Amino acid sequence: MPLPPVLRLVVRNFRASIDPITLLVMFGQPAFLIVILGTMFNQLIPSVGSSGSYIAFLVPGMIASQMITGAVLAGRTFWLDRRWSMVEQIFSGPFRRSEYLAALLLTTLLFALVGVGLLSLIALPLIGLPGLSPGELLVILGTIALGATFFGGLLIAIGSRIRSANLYFTIQSLLQYFLIFISTVYYPVSANTPLALRVVVYANPLTYAANTVRAAFTHSFGPSDLIAGVVLGALAIVAFFLAVASFRRLSFGPVQ
Amino acid sequence: MSVEENLRLYAFLWGIPREVAKARTEEMLELFELGEKRRMRPWGLSGGERRRFQVARELMHDMELLFLDEPTVGLDALTRTRILDYLAARARQGLTIVFTTHILHEADRLCQRIGVMSDGHLVTVGSPEEIKRAYRGARNVEAEFGRPLTREEAASLRELLAREGEEFALVEAHDDLVIFRARNAEALVADVAIWSRDHALEIERIAVEEATLEDAFVRLVSEPRPVFLPSSEVD
Repeated sequence: MPLPPVLRLVVRNFRASIDPITLLVMFGQPAFLIVILGTMFNQLIPSVGSSGSYIAFLVPGMIASQMITGAVLAGRTFWLDRRWSMVEQIFSGPFRRSEYLAALLLTTLLFALVGVGLLSLIALPLIGLPGLSPGELLVILGTIALGATFFGGLLIAIGSRIRSANLYFTIQSLLQYFLIFISTVYYPVSANTPLALRVVVYANPLTYAANTVRAAFTHSFGPSDLIAGVVLGALAIVAFFLAVASFRRLSFGPVQ
Repeated sequence: MSVEENLRLYAFLWGIPREVAKARTEEMLELFELGEKRRMRPWGLSGGERRRFQVARELMHDMELLFLDEPTVGLDALTRTRILDYLAARARQGLTIVFTTHILHEADRLCQRIGVMSDGHLVTVGSPEEIKRAYRGARNVEAEFGRPLTREEAASLRELLAREGEEFALVEAHDDLVIFRARNAEALVADVAIWSRDHALEIERIAVEEATLEDAFVRLVSEPRPVFLPSSEVD
């Protein structure tokens, strides 16, 4: 009994498009940042809000940022499929566009969860077990899922409209860099933060995801986290439909 | 992923059961002479090997219709023959193959129906024999007589051929051998047979060059307007 088409495509995405070096860089970089950046800044920053140490502040943020890593890997898979005409080959097989798109989004989510798992393995010995309740664990996973759908959908929508690999990967790198740095992944935002920067940081969905995951780690959920979850959910739905619309108009043929 | 893993993954994508996929992978690796390259990455293969790998991959699953775009380009004669034989066998088993090629003798050998494209237009559809018959050009006829022809006999034969032959040209004539070209080669063979009987000349051997699809194609695409075979139907 063969697996359903979407799952077959997910397996294929994992096996065919991602090489070990890419995985090592994509997942190794955040782990490296936690160990090095966390340890170094821990010496300079005595405590950050309710998180306590800087490294305890950094880890939930980095875990939240895995939704972008997952999206980047799925976007890369999609673009490489376009570049090597695999999209056409897949559609000439027993797959529909909707199945391919669903598989890409599921791949984004699974990549993100793999990233969360790996980071947890590396980071938890440094900060200790946060003692999450099942509800808090569910909130973290839900936030990662919504964020992965949002960023995955966004990158697929962009990737569908662009016909140049250079342009796509430049936009993807810029977006990844911009979203992670102008968020609360690495540093908190307070009343002392310049207003313009605060506006940009709070316009970034990753900020909400990082704050929600952090709140779960510090057992300090509040109404603002619920609102953040709703906003992230709404953005995920918008990005999903954006991806569907772009994907419907996806033009085949050679890309640069 | 290696060549073998690629083939297996392709079968997996098509939902082929694991055991069937395993057996078919071995069959394809052997058929396309990729057994020694099974552990290599596809981009490490030579151009011809990559071509073979691509065709092998497409044949990993069962299908009713297969499109192949010049699958034998860049392959050596032996491999080409193996692949064409395999495709012919699959076609006999019921697989419909749409095969695009510039190598016309391959089309002649493999195809039951041929569509000829010129300048983006379908100019004819038919069996290889229909197309060759309808669009064949002048072909060589080689006639060898039981004894050398006299000067008068040679002149008489030349006059007959020039009168009856379409697009006639005398290629060679000496002693007992006459080689000429004509579009209506078969009709002229009959004329030569009657003429030789009338002149009490025995024909040792007479052979008509076989019409090729290539000749027919050249005539076909040089026609000023599209021509359709009356016996063909374009579905």
